[in-house]
Amino acid sequence: MRATLCTIGFAAVMVTGAGAQQASRTQPVQGMRDNGTGYHALVGARVVTGPGQVLDDATIVIRDGLVQAVGRGMEAPAGARVWDLDGLTVYPGFIDAHADLEMDAVPEGGDIGPTHWNPQVRAWFSTTRNLADDEDRRAALRSQGFGTALAVPKEGIFRGTASVVNLGDEGVRERVLRPDVAQAIGFQRSLELGGSYPNSAMGTIALMKQTLMDADWYMRAWDAYESSGRAFLPPETSEALAALGDAVQGAQPVIFETGGEEEYLRANRLASEFGLQAWYRGNGHEYRIIDVLRGRNEPLIVPLDFPDAPDVDDPEAALNASLADLRDWYLAPTGPAQLADAGVRFAITTDGMSSLNDFLPNLRVAVARGLSPEDALAALTTTPAEWLGVDRTHGMIEEGKVANLVVTEGDLFTEEATVRDVWVRGRVYGVTRPAQIDPRGTWRIASTDEWGFEAILTLEGTVNRLRGHIDLAVEPGAAEGVRIPLASASVVTETGRIEARFDGEELGYEGTALLSGSVRGDEFYGWTSLPNGADPSFRGTRTEGFEGPARGTVAMDVPEIDLPFIRPMMDYGRSSIPEQPAAVVVRNATVWTQGPQGMLEGADLLIRAGRVEAVGMDLDAPGGAVEIDATDKHVTPGLIDPHIHSGVSAVNESGFAIVPEVRMGDVVTHNNIWMYRQVAGGLTTAHIKHGSANPIGGENVFVKMRWGSLPEDLKLENAPRTVKFALGENPKRRQGRYPDTRMGTQEIIRDHFMAARDYEREWQRWEETGEGLPPRRDLRMEAILDILDQELLISSHGYRADEFLALVRLAEEFGFRVQTLQHGVEAYKIAPELAASGVAAVVWSDWGAFKMEAYDATIYNARILIEAGVVTSLHSDNSEIASRMNWEAGKLLRTGLTPEQALSTVTNGSARAMAIEDRVGSLEPGKDGDFVIWSGNPLSQFTRAEQTWIDGRRYFSLEEDAAMRDRIAQERTQLIQAILSAEGNGGRNVDTERN
Amino acid sequence: MTRMQQPAITGTRSRVLGMAGMAGVAVAVLWAMAPATLGAQVRMTVPPQSEPVALQGATIHTVTSGVIENGTILLENGLITAIGADVDIPAGTRVIDATGKHIYPGLIDAYSTVGIAEIGAVGVSNDVNELGDFNPNVRADVAVNAESRHIGTTRSAGVLTTLTTPGGGLVSGMSSALALEGWSWEEMSIQSAAALNVNWPNPNPRRFRGFGGFRFGQQGADRPSYEEQVQQLKDFFAEARAYRDAVAAGEEVRSDSRYAAMIPVIDGVVPVVVAADGAAQINDAITWAQEEDLRIVIRGGQDAIHVADRLVAEDIPVILTSTMAAPGRQYEGYDGAYTMPARLHEAGVRFAISGGSGSLYSNRLPFEAGVAVAFGLSEEEALKAVTINPAEFLGLDDRVGSLEPGKQATFLITTGTPLDMTTDIEQAYIQGRELDMNDIQKHFFEKYMEKVRQYMRRVIM
Repeated sequence: MRATLCTIGFAAVMVTGAGAQQASRTQPVQGMRDNGTGYHALVGARVVTGPGQVLDDATIVIRDGLVQAVGRGMEAPAGARVWDLDGLTVYPGFIDAHADLEMDAVPEGGDIGPTHWNPQVRAWFSTTRNLADDEDRRAALRSQGFGTALAVPKEGIFRGTASVVNLGDEGVRERVLRPDVAQAIGFQRSLELGGSYPNSAMGTIALMKQTLMDADWYMRAWDAYESSGRAFLPPETSEALAALGDAVQGAQPVIFETGGEEEYLRANRLASEFGLQAWYRGNGHEYRIIDVLRGRNEPLIVPLDFPDAPDVDDPEAALNASLADLRDWYLAPTGPAQLADAGVRFAITTDGMSSLNDFLPNLRVAVARGLSPEDALAALTTTPAEWLGVDRTHGMIEEGKVANLVVTEGDLFTEEATVRDVWVRGRVYGVTRPAQIDPRGTWRIASTDEWGFEAILTLEGTVNRLRGHIDLAVEPGAAEGVRIPLASASVVTETGRIEARFDGEELGYEGTALLSGSVRGDEFYGWTSLPNGADPSFRGTRTEGFEGPARGTVAMDVPEIDLPFIRPMMDYGRSSIPEQPAAVVVRNATVWTQGPQGMLEGADLLIRAGRVEAVGMDLDAPGGAVEIDATDKHVTPGLIDPHIHSGVSAVNESGFAIVPEVRMGDVVTHNNIWMYRQVAGGLTTAHIKHGSANPIGGENVFVKMRWGSLPEDLKLENAPRTVKFALGENPKRRQGRYPDTRMGTQEIIRDHFMAARDYEREWQRWEETGEGLPPRRDLRMEAILDILDQELLISSHGYRADEFLALVRLAEEFGFRVQTLQHGVEAYKIAPELAASGVAAVVWSDWGAFKMEAYDATIYNARILIEAGVVTSLHSDNSEIASRMNWEAGKLLRTGLTPEQALSTVTNGSARAMAIEDRVGSLEPGKDGDFVIWSGNPLSQFTRAEQTWIDGRRYFSLEEDAAMRDRIAQERTQLIQAILSAEGNGGRNVDTERN
Repeated sequence: MTRMQQPAITGTRSRVLGMAGMAGVAVAVLWAMAPATLGAQVRMTVPPQSEPVALQGATIHTVTSGVIENGTILLENGLITAIGADVDIPAGTRVIDATGKHIYPGLIDAYSTVGIAEIGAVGVSNDVNELGDFNPNVRADVAVNAESRHIGTTRSAGVLTTLTTPGGGLVSGMSSALALEGWSWEEMSIQSAAALNVNWPNPNPRRFRGFGGFRFGQQGADRPSYEEQVQQLKDFFAEARAYRDAVAAGEEVRSDSRYAAMIPVIDGVVPVVVAADGAAQINDAITWAQEEDLRIVIRGGQDAIHVADRLVAEDIPVILTSTMAAPGRQYEGYDGAYTMPARLHEAGVRFAISGGSGSLYSNRLPFEAGVAVAFGLSEEEALKAVTINPAEFLGLDDRVGSLEPGKQATFLITTGTPLDMTTDIEQAYIQGRELDMNDIQKHFFEKYMEKVRQYMRRVIM
């Protein structure tokens, strides 16, 4: 009978091994030395020496922490302690390439010394110098098979340096393998470190860029100081900038911890912009950009934290499950396999798991969902060993390598295996104790007292989860007997006791019967306690051993569901971006060109290679052109919304009052259902704006609604750069931050305008003379200079006439022009002034009264502005309203504007206001092939968009929408059924088959 | 049209202008445009109808009795006394030629805060949410500011009756039906206790957003569980019933204005409007209402289609609050809210459409209904959803909601359907009063067009 294990973990060191050798150890020994021989022979095991390499019945000889020999048919050398591992499997010790050892707690009162002005920049923090990791954490990692880890600091944005350590219990001086090998960076700030800036995704990226540039400057500034013979005062001292020197020169890896596939893409852009040697801690969403990752070679370290299943417990709950969540539940466990299939090398980490105990079970899930055991092992051994620069000593079981081993009962990747021991540098750490007894099998039991009965007791299942039944066979072996299932059964292996319960009904008693007993070998002495109070005792003899497999195998237990790749990986995602026909001709429509041709009835629109070729009557189309009959339909340019906030991961960087260095373009997200809804409403171009928390906010970004594209591909090419300003209530309502008044708002803007000119002069002086410290590039000042030079156009939030007029005059004072006022609820009050200054107005139709400064709203705003000659556009400032801008324009009909004037506020007027009229806004030859086919007059409440085209590609049509809905419904149904059929419903999408 | 209205209409409505970029053209037109708009006034309240009035020649959309081409509508003492293609006009009647125009009943917004909310973020300007979870005794009408700017803009959009509704807590208080004309709330209120409002608790608090000022009273970490809140509601109704019975039995009980206010509700005289959006909420609310034997109307109804069979079987009407909205769930069609009225109609559910896209914006009600037409509902049904249907659900159909003899003379003169912005609302009557169609937005228009004119003169001179 095979011995089994009980899983009660214990972490006692069973034997002291050889630590560092005497001659290379600095600490004197106090008292008696406690060395042991450090000489071990592990015999009889199946040894997986490396990925895909197996030696059956092999011997491993360990001496002084190293593998001295490994091979088949070797005798254990004399003097070695022999470990009989018959029936067990040995793997190389695992390496966690991104381990959180919980060692960088923030000191009380914060960091001290000349570190960095921003508490989130802790690049100076060294995991080696601060090695004080948590003993329980090490033991927990060992229990999952790990012997080595890259200890990564986790606090702040620039987090400090990561070190390769072993996970043994020697003193800290023995544990470090490679000190401070990489800089760690994260996209989440740590609240406990304090500081107000950055508090947004784009602010974080801006800080990263500025800090990397500062690190470069810091080296040059100190060089200049030293090489001048210290002829002037030195630059500031910053441990953080000094620590980043190697990283910015590409001489030290930088590990980005990414929280999603888009953070990966952002980190990747930043790394290429700065020439960093980038590593990435992945996030479990790699499968969503598997096409992008294919062929990439930078180290990628992925977690195994698979999502729980969405709640589908009742029909109403199931209604709320999005396809995005359902697909994530189903697909996330296939992520590692997809990476392997795409030829992407990756390592696997425990980091990011809510519970470390889920690591091995999730690893098996990943294998059950397609990851080969060889690839899984490589991701835990040879791959990280190579990346961490310890492959000469780690990652395989080979002569001369460090004796880091995982001893398991069962196949770690495909079975419910148990880690028995982990060896780290030749020291063994017990993980689970072997079971002392195994009561499974068939027992003939008979009472020894006056109750007199005979029965067959069968115990099966796993030792941890016993199950079984009692057959009350009057005659042994009779086919028809009474079978009583055991309601519960358990064994305490240390004491050899089993305990079980069963229903007394078959015995003729109402209630629960108890059974307990002591097992010794194949003998059993037991008692029962029946519901009537009787307590017969009995003896048993095992007649048959347990024949089933020793442990469960792990297999896929969700149905195969065909879930094709879609982007974004959510509801209404598409399998590829729509094709661009060589030519498209829309026939016989009412075409609102919004250009010099005006509105044409019964006209054709010809698009070639994504651009407008012509609008006119009976146009000749090239052969093979896609022909669309638009009889009774209207065609307009694609709609433009100059002010939305959807489509980015964050909106406000409110950490400082002045933040033009932050860029919305850094945080565009494609996982944005609003974009699909907006394109369905005819919107084709939008200006995504920074929030209004700052007098000078961040740089905005133009996107086209190319639903199904990656973030970078959404951006409008060669678009003008614009920056958000904000006046009035919003920027002054942040407590304790200047400004508190509209007066102060104007002054802080003026002060920064002047500061930027000062900055410019400092640079000019240095460039002319080369004397003194080299100036530092300041992204904020550079952005303000761009504003003053009108390369970064002001797009200012505000409501009241006074504040706008003040800004317009302030700009004039500095010799430039404000591009647009946005919201402009009171723009009509200064319409003549705006017209004279050439400022465009971006306003609402009839939204107002939601706050004090919006109280004087009037639907005639746009009309007055247009009458005064101001370039005027509508905007939504709202994800939902952006999906129906034609109706917003339609409302203006009631103010007396002509239909074309009304439509201009969401097409050509918007394009002019935003300085993108060379590309979009009208159907004129050469402009982008962005148009909408409407069921009727686009300004009517009774009309809807039927097709939306961007760049001559059809991004929305009613037919395709209907087909997508069918597919979504089908996938949701299948996935909900899969959850219901998956046993446990706890988010695991495989289950173990227990025999 | 009356003389009084002329400046307001012609002054604000001029569709003759071309693309205005060319200052020369614009200026010429502006010169022509009148100093008549100088001294534009704010909305005036007009006296009650003093003489019989007949409007002739219009297409009359009665809603309940079809469309009358070239019809006449006769108003006397604020009521419609005759309507048809051939109406005898009594002597002394002022006859107004409405040839080529359309006449529709005034629209009804069954979920509004017009009059009790002024500026969203200025808390002191709003009187919507009373403190506490049980406020059946508060009535909206007594807090209505007859000078609210929103009254004028709402009327200009064709909405002449609102169910002005308090919010907050579990039992928010009584909605009041208001005619949007009068010197004071007293003159405006046509049904002081028109409906009791119950906010059905949310079993999944993060799912549905509240709208505008209609925040639920119980929020935060110490908010009771869904089940506890439902039990609180049941207990409150049980107490109210006991109070009523004790009073009826002549027992001497201490007076309690909250329970006293509940008596017409539990007697089935006043309907209960239950705010419920999720399928579970709607189902649980119906079960509760049946146990309590109440007349209920569901308000919100985002998931009403999932409960349609039951709503039909139990004949429970729904006031939709978000037809012009994004769907609540990612996988739902982009037009999920737009098509909701058509789908409910097909399923046989009775419904009204309210201006729930924002409590301040009853002026958008017509478009909330119009969107349903773009997405499959007939224009006729959409019109009913903002006229006779809400009137019926709230017991106001003897006074408003359609054009019939005996009902109040509350109607619109338009160039076409009021549900589409391609038409114009030219004139409105409330209880026979011919309204001053000015509003604050037109006031600003006239004032600042004058500024434009003055500046242009400076440029030219």
